Amino acid sequence: MSRTLYACAHAAEFPAQALLRLRPDLAAKPVVVLEGQPPKETVCALNRQARLRGAALGMTKLEIEEFGGFVLLPRSVAGEAAARAVFLECAAQFSPRIEEDSRETACAFVLDIAGTERLFGPPAQLARRLRAALAAAGFRASIAVSANYHAARMKAAAGRGPHRQETRGIAVIPAGEEAAALEKLPIAALELEEEHEETFALWGMRTLGELARAPESELVTRLGAAARAWRRLACGEAEHTFAPIEPELALEEFCEFENPVDQIDSLLFIGARMIDCLARRAEARALALAALTLDLKLDLKLEDGRVPQRVYRRVLRPALPSTDRKFLLKLLQLEIGAHPPPAAVVALTLAAEAGRAGKVQLGLFVPSADGGPEPSRLDVTLARLKAMVGEDRVGAPALEDTHRAGSFRMESFSVAPADLPKNRVPRPRHASVVVPGVGDHNDDSSAQPRMALRRVRPPAPVRVELFPTLSSKNGARVGQPTVFRDAQNRFEVAAAYGPWRASGCWWSGEDWDDEEWDVLARASGGAGDDTLFACLLVRDRTRNAWRLEAFYD
Amino acid sequence: MPSAAALRLTIERSLERRFPAALTPAPRAVRETAATGIAEVDAHLEGGLPVGAISELTGPASSGRTSLALAFVARRTREGPAEGRACAWVDASDAFDPESAAAAGVLLPRLLWVRCWDQNRAGISPAQTGKIRGAQTAVWTRPGWTHLGWAHLDQALRATDLLLQAGGFAALVLDLGNIAREQGNRIPLATWFRFRQAADRSRSSLVVLGRASYAQSAAALVLACRPSRSLAAGETALRGFQFQIERRRERFEPLQIRERKPVLSTWSADAAWDTADARWEIDRTKKPRVGERRA
Repeated sequence: MSRTLYACAHAAEFPAQALLRLRPDLAAKPVVVLEGQPPKETVCALNRQARLRGAALGMTKLEIEEFGGFVLLPRSVAGEAAARAVFLECAAQFSPRIEEDSRETACAFVLDIAGTERLFGPPAQLARRLRAALAAAGFRASIAVSANYHAARMKAAAGRGPHRQETRGIAVIPAGEEAAALEKLPIAALELEEEHEETFALWGMRTLGELARAPESELVTRLGAAARAWRRLACGEAEHTFAPIEPELALEEFCEFENPVDQIDSLLFIGARMIDCLARRAEARALALAALTLDLKLDLKLEDGRVPQRVYRRVLRPALPSTDRKFLLKLLQLEIGAHPPPAAVVALTLAAEAGRAGKVQLGLFVPSADGGPEPSRLDVTLARLKAMVGEDRVGAPALEDTHRAGSFRMESFSVAPADLPKNRVPRPRHASVVVPGVGDHNDDSSAQPRMALRRVRPPAPVRVELFPTLSSKNGARVGQPTVFRDAQNRFEVAAAYGPWRASGCWWSGEDWDDEEWDVLARASGGAGDDTLFACLLVRDRTRNAWRLEAFYD
Repeated sequence: MPSAAALRLTIERSLERRFPAALTPAPRAVRETAATGIAEVDAHLEGGLPVGAISELTGPASSGRTSLALAFVARRTREGPAEGRACAWVDASDAFDPESAAAAGVLLPRLLWVRCWDQNRAGISPAQTGKIRGAQTAVWTRPGWTHLGWAHLDQALRATDLLLQAGGFAALVLDLGNIAREQGNRIPLATWFRFRQAADRSRSSLVVLGRASYAQSAAALVLACRPSRSLAAGETALRGFQFQIERRRERFEPLQIRERKPVLSTWSADAAWDTADARWEIDRTKKPRVGERRA
């Protein structure tokens, strides 16, 4: 015969707990959660400090405000759903068979823990570990362990009342002693209809122990067949068919602010807590966070008073899936810093994609040049650089598949070895240039150094004097530049090689038709430095405009 | 009368508790070098540019600084592990030409290019202000530098610092080639010492391109580059350049000095289009053009 054993985790005042778990700054303050449409808002949940100051469920907002000193928060259904998922995720660490037993404003899950002693120790130890795991996720829950499903459920639910100090949030009911454990619970634990509660009150029955001691036949005679089920519940003998749910891994955290937040530090304060929760949940399944999606609900109001639902989204993709909190938080900080939301934020959602943890051997101290930069450090470094110089100004250059000189695009830089071009031949300025070792080119030319260009971005417009006559001294030719000048200086051309004409894209609006001259020149007119230098002058033939494109160096 | 060697031994023994080997000169460390891929330069430097130190390539425009640096980076991206080593190019004035880099043999996916110069940026980053909306008061550059138009230099120095601290880059080129000499001279010496420490720790070769030597005593090697002559083919094609390099400073010389090394050396670089299969066309003074197809 298989022995059953259940553990129930019960979080009372769940609307308040869902809001406070991400707001540790409010933990010591009396907090009251209100629901309903204004002005008929009533208290639906409150924390212990609020209860000690006299607040109670069902009070109106006006009554609460008369007390003064309370923190009033609106109920957040989305926040509760996210918190429930986290609660379930924590419980799922201890058993795969879980049934939900949430009632009213409480959130409760009953775990089938039969056969888990060798994994988590005896029931008392499991209860302590379960409670600690929930506390780490920001929940105050009472735990009850029993061989009877309903006994565990009712005992855990009673932990929130005056019995809380007695049980300290954990109750382990030995097999066969369910009736004794439940005898002090009030009749209300059975959740009877008001009529039957009044009947028991008239009879003087106030606890489950008194109900259990009453003769069953007499109860059935007076109250019907339902009384037999009540008595069995009170004795801890009621049977239950376990219907487990299948928890899905949804790594998502949500927080709604009572006031619009316009400080990045405030967002990061909440974001750090969210990242910690997400990383812990991923680690529990031997996973890591492969991507973080940040959704910021903005506080936008149109002039006509309408409030559009605008969500500002940023996605972080670390080079390797990671659970390093500091690293992820730094990435988040740099991302928000580089792309701040255009308006104040009223709600924050952080969702994560799970991925396998990286298996890269990292350096002990500083990464060696052979191994390349550590992916996580490189991510942070690239994010810092992008924040400093601009998003599109950091990366690996890649040549465009075009003949147009000076065209390139920026690609994201990574240390992954798989992205090297094996067969693609980048096309440099001249078609005859083939990159050594990349294409079908022998390595002979790689041994020979190449002249490099230093681009002038944007190209500087220059005025050029051309050689006018057909025959000349110094062998100059018709149309050859002899002098060019920019805004400040005048340069005399010592030698000019060209022209070399190129054109393209005539089939589109971005056509070009250029004439290139390689020019050796020196500054004239007392500029000081009269060293000869080589540069590339280009004439736009469509507009007959000259520009200084680059220097040879 | 005791000999000088015996006397020295006696003195050293008496002082060995406080100064070990007080009178024996400390052996000079042999600095690891990385070849530039240019035979003449490697022979002149007896190996190449130092690893884990600062090398400065100085000179005016068209002096071959950039060609030499690209050849070095190309060599570094291609050697080592199968996928090549990572290198970085911090471009203070946005002058880097990817086509020249590809022609020099640089594996572009292994090269991180940081383009510092941006005329459109106002010099104020919201990241530094910490405020999403409202007045932005904090200036992210060093105080006063923005007003002088030195933001790009400040960006370049900060980017270099970040990359050196991150480590893992085999070569890092700080391109200050278009920076005015008076601006470069105002870079604090402490910055260069920091770079030297970081480069030493991460075993990165930091190559600084500039019009003059800025790192002063923090540089392990200073090479002055000069143009020597141009090589032309006929009247229409500039075929290449010949450059001169002069060794101005070398802190880590090899342990055994066999003979006095020459200070000057000459090397040449071909035009990017001057490949073997194109030379027959050069002889006919015909420069191969973009889009031309050959048999």
